[in-house]
Amino acid sequence: MSQSDNSFEPNVIDDEMLQKAVEEQWPEDIRNIAKAEGGIDFKDVMELQLSFRNILQIDNLWQFENLTKLQLDNNIIEKIEALESLVHLVWLDLSFNNIEVIEGLDTLVKLQDLSLCNNRISKIEHMDTLQELQIFSIGKNNLTTLENVVYLRRFKNLRALNLTGNPFCDEEQYMLFVVAHLPGLVYLDFKLVSDTTREVAISNYQYLTDLLEHEEAQALAQLEEKQAQQKELEYHKTAFVEYLNGSFLFDSLYAEDTEAAKLAYLPGVDDLLQAYRKDFVSVCENLFNYGLKEYEKREAEVAEFYEGLHEVLTANQEEGRKIILDFENQNKMRLDEIHHASSHDTAESMRAEYNEDILQLSETLMTLEMQMVDQLEELIKEFERNIAVIASTFIDNVKGMMTQCRDLENRHHEKLLEISISALEKSLKNELDEELPDDVREFLVDKNVIVNMVNKSHNIHLLKIDMRECDILLNTYHWEAFVKEKALQNEIDRNRNRVKEIFQYIDDLQEQLEKTQIPEPME
Amino acid sequence: MEVIEEKEEQEQKEEELKGLEPSSELHDVETKLSVEQVCFSSDVPDFDWNSIDTSQLPDSYKMNSPREKKLLRIADHYHQQYAHLCPERKPLFLHPVNECGVEKFVSTTLRPTLLPYTELYHWDGCASFVSDFLTMEPLKCPLTLPSCLYSPTTILKYQRGNCFDFSVLLCSMLIGAGYDAYCVSGYATHDICSLDETLEECPLLRKPQEVPKEEVKKSNKYRVKSLPDMHSKFELQQEAKKKAETEATLKKEREEMGTELEEPTRDRLCGLRVHAWVLVLSGKREVPETFFINPFTGNSHSTMDEQFLGIESVWNHENYWVNMQDCQNGCKDLVFDLSDSVHWEIMLSETAKPLQLLLSAEKENELFDRNMDDMEEEEEEEEEEIHFTMPPSWVAQIQLSPKEFETRCSQGRKVILYKKAKLEKWAPYLNGNGLVKRLTIYADLSCTEVVEVKEWFKNREDMLDMREVNKQTQLTTEYFSPGHLFGLKVHIYKSMSPQTERVMEFYHETRVDGLQKLAENANEMREYFVGRDDFKYFQHTEFRAKRKKVTLAGTTTDGRNSRPIVQIKECFHRNLQKPADEDVAERVFLIEEEVIQLTYHLKDKYITASKKDFLKPTEGYRKQSEIMTPEMCITYQAGSPEQHTKLVHLYKLLQELTEEEKRLKQQAWQSQAEVLKILEIRENEEADIQLSASIYDTERNEKKRQEYEAMMNAKRDEFPGQRDQDLDYLAPFLIQIGSPEKITKRQALRLRDDCLSDFKNRLVSKANIIQAHFEKEVEELQKKNQQFQENQNQLSKEEEAAFLADYSETMFRIHILALRLDREKQTAPQKYLALEEKLCKDPRLAEHLGHA
Repeated sequence: MSQSDNSFEPNVIDDEMLQKAVEEQWPEDIRNIAKAEGGIDFKDVMELQLSFRNILQIDNLWQFENLTKLQLDNNIIEKIEALESLVHLVWLDLSFNNIEVIEGLDTLVKLQDLSLCNNRISKIEHMDTLQELQIFSIGKNNLTTLENVVYLRRFKNLRALNLTGNPFCDEEQYMLFVVAHLPGLVYLDFKLVSDTTREVAISNYQYLTDLLEHEEAQALAQLEEKQAQQKELEYHKTAFVEYLNGSFLFDSLYAEDTEAAKLAYLPGVDDLLQAYRKDFVSVCENLFNYGLKEYEKREAEVAEFYEGLHEVLTANQEEGRKIILDFENQNKMRLDEIHHASSHDTAESMRAEYNEDILQLSETLMTLEMQMVDQLEELIKEFERNIAVIASTFIDNVKGMMTQCRDLENRHHEKLLEISISALEKSLKNELDEELPDDVREFLVDKNVIVNMVNKSHNIHLLKIDMRECDILLNTYHWEAFVKEKALQNEIDRNRNRVKEIFQYIDDLQEQLEKTQIPEPME
Repeated sequence: MEVIEEKEEQEQKEEELKGLEPSSELHDVETKLSVEQVCFSSDVPDFDWNSIDTSQLPDSYKMNSPREKKLLRIADHYHQQYAHLCPERKPLFLHPVNECGVEKFVSTTLRPTLLPYTELYHWDGCASFVSDFLTMEPLKCPLTLPSCLYSPTTILKYQRGNCFDFSVLLCSMLIGAGYDAYCVSGYATHDICSLDETLEECPLLRKPQEVPKEEVKKSNKYRVKSLPDMHSKFELQQEAKKKAETEATLKKEREEMGTELEEPTRDRLCGLRVHAWVLVLSGKREVPETFFINPFTGNSHSTMDEQFLGIESVWNHENYWVNMQDCQNGCKDLVFDLSDSVHWEIMLSETAKPLQLLLSAEKENELFDRNMDDMEEEEEEEEEEIHFTMPPSWVAQIQLSPKEFETRCSQGRKVILYKKAKLEKWAPYLNGNGLVKRLTIYADLSCTEVVEVKEWFKNREDMLDMREVNKQTQLTTEYFSPGHLFGLKVHIYKSMSPQTERVMEFYHETRVDGLQKLAENANEMREYFVGRDDFKYFQHTEFRAKRKKVTLAGTTTDGRNSRPIVQIKECFHRNLQKPADEDVAERVFLIEEEVIQLTYHLKDKYITASKKDFLKPTEGYRKQSEIMTPEMCITYQAGSPEQHTKLVHLYKLLQELTEEEKRLKQQAWQSQAEVLKILEIRENEEADIQLSASIYDTERNEKKRQEYEAMMNAKRDEFPGQRDQDLDYLAPFLIQIGSPEKITKRQALRLRDDCLSDFKNRLVSKANIIQAHFEKEVEELQKKNQQFQENQNQLSKEEEAAFLADYSETMFRIHILALRLDREKQTAPQKYLALEEKLCKDPRLAEHLGHA
């Protein structure tokens, strides 16, 4: 190991140091080539060793995008930082430093081997994202509470753990506690965990671990349930009918409607509301089921199109490949022949001939591509037609069902109005036998007031229904446009790529032909 | 007794003859003539059934039980009715005589037996066994029923018989195995009756019927329209017409050539040849459809088969049915519902419950009631007939030894001639090379020009299963079972000499390198792989053709090993973990030109593959500082023209490839060496063929048997002495002190003392016991003596003699006891000393007592 010249002075990682470090680890021949080519690209470096360099602060490592192994041991680093961009890191060594807190590792999700031994860490923490961790070394640190080890339970792949030299190692129960709480562990403190130890540990700590396991299982179940719900909702959303399988919409009608709450106190309104709710929800359910069905249909249509497209493209690819392979097989020796032609003139003529053939190939390939474009255009048009039909039927039916909702609302409105007016009349005649809250009594005075109230409530409801309908329709239009756009764009990209490819290939062939040396013309 | 019975038998015979006479008169004259014509042709091999030994047979063979006699009467009655009703039909096959000359009803000759061989649990196993085991004898007269029917046991013993014997044996086995099987007496074609298969194709050569693959592919509505067809339809038509014409003419010519030879001659006696076979009805043992089995060949035939021309009667071990249906169209239109009384006339109606008739219990009861009513009205004899059930079979149990079962054909060999083919079968282990079957295929009907020979082997140590030799191409193909060294599966070759054309296939699952096939000829080698981690599936290695001079000089193995390689080409499957244009599809090492060509997999929707061609730097060039220049690598990157790969990467790649090239070269030579090794092993194996025997086969597996016997002997010898040796004389004392692992000096001394004192006590007590016995005897003697003295005068002579004998015996006992006591006293000290010494030398105590 070559020490830095100024070995006692703390360093910050800078470009110069990195350049040197990288150069050191490559063999000479490769270094020469790299130099000749104008320096080393840090992106190509997979492993980097920066040991014994008196580094105080980590910096400038962001260029090593593809780094998988980093050694920063035996420095004087105090803080883990500036490692965020090294997302491919698998192996990280930070041993023999002055680190006090585990931090800044959140982005290194691929990390499998982490060494933090001989530091000043007093707590294991901030490592939740390192789910791939297999080997973890945190010996000779300042860990004091044995319970902290329970944190490591979340690493399901953890196989080897080193904790030696921490204060809590002196505790009597240290070994058994760790083994009991980390059942997946194979090596602890560089030693194989024996079956007997494991048995004893498990029996000793059964009550604790059982509790933990139970809690973990519960948390997991909750999480899974939540995810399942989320997924279900996601599915409904893609079908544009989220929150329609139940009384969500109906409830939302009344959510912001203060008037309706007041009106509900009127006699007979409650029953009316119940009946209305029932009908409304059943219409919603219908809409929901229809929506899911339509969604499947749409997906099937799209899948079928892409399947057909794939078949066509594969056939086309094979055909093109065949043309090219035939050409290559025929012309394998052509360049050699030209190169070794007997005279300049024959070589020239041969070259011209070959060039002609290349152009011919280009022609063939382009014709094939033109045919393809025509065929695909038709295919896409048909697809667009079908999609449009599906979308329009869906929209029509949704509109129909929403009209049903509106009709229900209208009918409800009429009845409510009737009840309100009769209640008003009764109230005026003081015939109301039920006790009503004061604010309800308040509006039971004037006909205009109550009619306005009922109308207002009605308008809110209609607005809500309209909004929901609008949502579905908009989503459907968006979907239709998106699917069409995607199909078209795919085709355009494909065509562009293919043409580019053909040109490039032809250019390449011609270039090779150009480069071929031919006999000098004779004087 | 016997004399009377014999007389009876003779009478019966006479009766039978009488019974036959009128029926034979029923034949028209023409048939009679032809019978005489045909009868001479019986080329019965010189085996005289009269010479067989019947003296050892059980009594049931030699006489009829009362029930059997009654059965015969019923049968006669039945036959009379039958003859009356159908005077134009031939007599029935009801009760022929057996090997002892006793008339037996055919149903009782069936002896349902399940033999203890798994192969015989299935009908095809039974059928092929019967056809192999028995030697076919033609009927004495092909147009009349045989006059006798021997028991299946006798048939098995002599391993020969006619179609009736075959059928009875097969039917017995099938019924025993649970099939609903019947013997059939009827008429068949000449080929079937005489076991002439020369017009039939060998079943081994029949191609498996190709099951037309169902087109599951559902039509996708998104399909491109095909391009307009620009070819002239008319031209195509004209061409097709021409082709058809030429083909037609060719076909005609061929037909003219071929037909003459293959046309079978018409049989004049068609429809009159008597044959017996087996009918298996559907239902039992999951038989889906009713079918026939021809016992001569063991093949199954559909009931529609045109070779079976008619049925007279069928029977099983319980009943007998006569066919009342018209057989003008052969057996095609026959109904095989035996419960149908219109189509089948049953003999013993009470037992008529064939499986196909599924009456509900109620209905059955009704029927029964009606029968009861009927019975009262009917005559006595009729009543008997109805009540009568078939008596048990008179045949002894059918037995078959494992050896007989294995040997199969008589002398373990059988030859069958098919159309343009000859099939030979041998019993396993009969041939030293394990040959069990050989099929020779000929080009012509007269079987002179051999086309192909197929040989099947069994129990070979080298796992050779089958060998095919094509005489026209001189190609030999050998098939191996799993388990051969190197996992060899198939070996196709012309000659065994190395570096000639050959193909070897392997069981790739058993090989580390996943090699599935290796094809080789003079200058190249093709290897096909399956399931490799590096996705390689093909490798083609080309060698430099050796100069003649070198070969003539006779190069040894090392010469062959270093055969220069011209080029190596490898092909890889797509590795989905890598992007397509980094995943190599083809790698070509042009070794002599120092070029390495890489072709990558196609990217999605691309038609050109990325390529890299490396021109390796020559040695002189390498010494210079510039070890890698852009010119050394020609790259074509599909779809990304601007991206330029760095020299460093290229250099690394080149280094890797150079390494790889070395490794591949080595491997190619290794493969070559392996091929040579296999050839060598094969040659050795062929030169010294070993047959393996199952470890359960104690007869063949000599080594196992010897081992087993040795083991048994050893056990027997070992057992008695074993106890004494193993007893540990210190054990009880060790237990007393708690069996410590290590013994201290004090403990050792105590142990010794305990042991010695215990031994002393035992010696003393032993002596005491002897002493006690001695004293008791002496006392008794004195007592007796005293008694004798007192009563001497009154005693008789006998009593005196008894006393004297007793006295002398007691004296003898006393003497012995005295001797023993004496010896005990003498040896006791010696024994004591010996124990002391032994204790001193005991490994557990020696440490402490050694120098004590």
